[in-house]
Amino acid sequence: MNPRTFHEGSSTDTEKRESFLNRVAESLKRPRRTEPVRRPDWKHTVHLDTLADRTPEQLVEILKEQCFFIHTQVIESTPALLQSTLDDLIDGYGGGPLIRSGDPRFTEYGLSFSGDFVWSEQAGRQENIRRAEAANIALVFADYTLAESGTVVLLSRPDQGRALHFLPAHYIAVIERKSIVPRSTQAMTDLNRRIESGEDIGSCINMISGPSNSADIEMQLVVGVHGPLRATYVLI
Amino acid sequence: MSMQTDKRDFDTRTADGIGDAFMRGAVGSAQDSLKTRRLTAATSLGDWERWRELGQQIRQHTLENLDYYLEQMADNVERRGGHVYFARTKEEASGYIRDVVQSKQATKVVKSKSMVTEEIEMNQVLMKAGCEVIESDLGEYILQEDDWDPPSHIVAPALHKNREQIRDVFASKLSYKGDETPEHLAGFARKVLREKFLEAEIGITGCNFAVANMGAINLVTNEGNGDLTAALPKTHIAVMGMERIVPTLEEMEVLDNLLCRSAVGQKLTSYITVMGPREEGESDGPEEFHLVIVDNGRSEILAGEFWEALQCIRCGACLNVCPVYRHIGGHAYGSIYPGPIGAVITPLLGGYDEYKELPYASSLCGACTDVCPVKIPLHEQLILHRQNIVSQGRTGAIDRAQMKAAGKLLSSPRMFRSTLRLANPMTKFMSKHGRVVRGPAPLSGWIGVRDMPQPVKERDGFRTWYENRTKKEGGRLP
Repeated sequence: MNPRTFHEGSSTDTEKRESFLNRVAESLKRPRRTEPVRRPDWKHTVHLDTLADRTPEQLVEILKEQCFFIHTQVIESTPALLQSTLDDLIDGYGGGPLIRSGDPRFTEYGLSFSGDFVWSEQAGRQENIRRAEAANIALVFADYTLAESGTVVLLSRPDQGRALHFLPAHYIAVIERKSIVPRSTQAMTDLNRRIESGEDIGSCINMISGPSNSADIEMQLVVGVHGPLRATYVLI
Repeated sequence: MSMQTDKRDFDTRTADGIGDAFMRGAVGSAQDSLKTRRLTAATSLGDWERWRELGQQIRQHTLENLDYYLEQMADNVERRGGHVYFARTKEEASGYIRDVVQSKQATKVVKSKSMVTEEIEMNQVLMKAGCEVIESDLGEYILQEDDWDPPSHIVAPALHKNREQIRDVFASKLSYKGDETPEHLAGFARKVLREKFLEAEIGITGCNFAVANMGAINLVTNEGNGDLTAALPKTHIAVMGMERIVPTLEEMEVLDNLLCRSAVGQKLTSYITVMGPREEGESDGPEEFHLVIVDNGRSEILAGEFWEALQCIRCGACLNVCPVYRHIGGHAYGSIYPGPIGAVITPLLGGYDEYKELPYASSLCGACTDVCPVKIPLHEQLILHRQNIVSQGRTGAIDRAQMKAAGKLLSSPRMFRSTLRLANPMTKFMSKHGRVVRGPAPLSGWIGVRDMPQPVKERDGFRTWYENRTKKEGGRLP
């Protein structure tokens, strides 16, 4: 049932919306603007220029340095060594339960983990969430990686839910070097281009920079609050 | 909690703040640390002034076309299967949210930190309707468990509490048995709140920015509670002040960079998320998504001389550099919006009747204006408020009489001279060792906190000395 119908004494939705927007236009002392508004040429391009001239090798160095500040371990590996790197890492985090996304790159790199649970549409909401909550480790592939801020960007899909990134105690993201861009600018520009061209990118973009943290108690940093307690990036 | 956090008068509130030695120490060290972190983050980015100008331009472009972008946002949310509610007043906003919750027959609500939900008094409305409302931000949760102690900082709401106080709150309200180590306190809260996330039927968040061409909202957080609030419950209600909107992800990116660096000195916070209603095939995320767009006085602000205050992105950088905030603390402002930006917008949202003192809680040093990432002329707006307050005759009778007398005195050289002559004999019985030590208000207020030298005798005054010296030098100016 639509809750809006409960609203006694209020005008209908459309009228409400119209009067709200008309009021905004009145405050701006002009008629309603309904024709498409073009974004102006921004007076500066600092966001586009920052780190834009760095080589891929330099970006990797920037990423590694930043990860030190966001309490995130970086392990350099190769496609050939990836399976054993991840196995060691999973052992180091105390083993499973392990939950991972259904990213096709797991198959491409020939990865398999005994006893893992794969987030999937078929499993359904309740089971996916229950498994994520019970998991010790989450394992994912980054869609974009931002060198400057040490960020992995992940899009939600049927095989990669939102809670996957937040409920497990440990978080491992595999980063392909080719996914590394200088900073948030390039990732957001590309995503906006995809949106403008009509592509469906999923309901949620997660930009994740290390484990969860809080400084709410006496401004002292606590790493690991509601989300993961530890995070590791594996670079291939 | 409503916008108003304390009904006592301004003087009582500030006296309370100044008398609270722990709070002042905590605020001082938090300011020092946040100030330094912001400066380091801004410097390392480089070209900070250009970034600020870009941020200002983006905010101003969006405000100038606000009706267009809000309509685009609403259309896109609806296209994606979400609901949009335009609320003119806070009553409409919280009433709609209550109706949504009741239509789900829900009683368990979990929320992440949001200033606008405080402004619309949503928690009271929901609790009155029989809901359990859990604040999941660690700082807000501490305050909630301490019988809804008001927040004292936009970004760090529990800044005024120390670890021992927090341990005592958890021990008495939640039977916490551990010590006062922040890791242990946070770990305990994680466990308690994890349960709350999993059983919640409704998740309520604020909105850092709405992204108009997507019909999605952007949350900028560190703890991960905002994401769990939006991912786990089947219904997600996002509440936004109507000005918190950007055209696309590209502008959001610039503002998020300014926000993170200005608020906490991070390049990006741990979690920056752009989210909308769950899509076909996705397992989690809300099955029902509501966006509540709140006016509640903002259109009046947009129409008037204070419109630039709507550029605010709620980073709190102005609080962190304010010498007045440092001494009186957040609670003294009596509003959920403290500090310089609070002193500007609280009177706009709540009126001069309740908040006419706030624009005077400033030394007009302008540090807030210099630090604002979107270039709101904060101290100039405080002066504008003061002009309005004076021209509307809202200052006290004593103030008005004093200003009138001072105006007369200072515009007449003859009166000015004779006052100077009489100042010394008139203060003779109020002074000791060359200092005025007692006197009637407003003098008593001044000498209560600072020295006031007794005015010198006329023959020792500067003018007399200068005239004599000029004579001695043969009429030549030295």
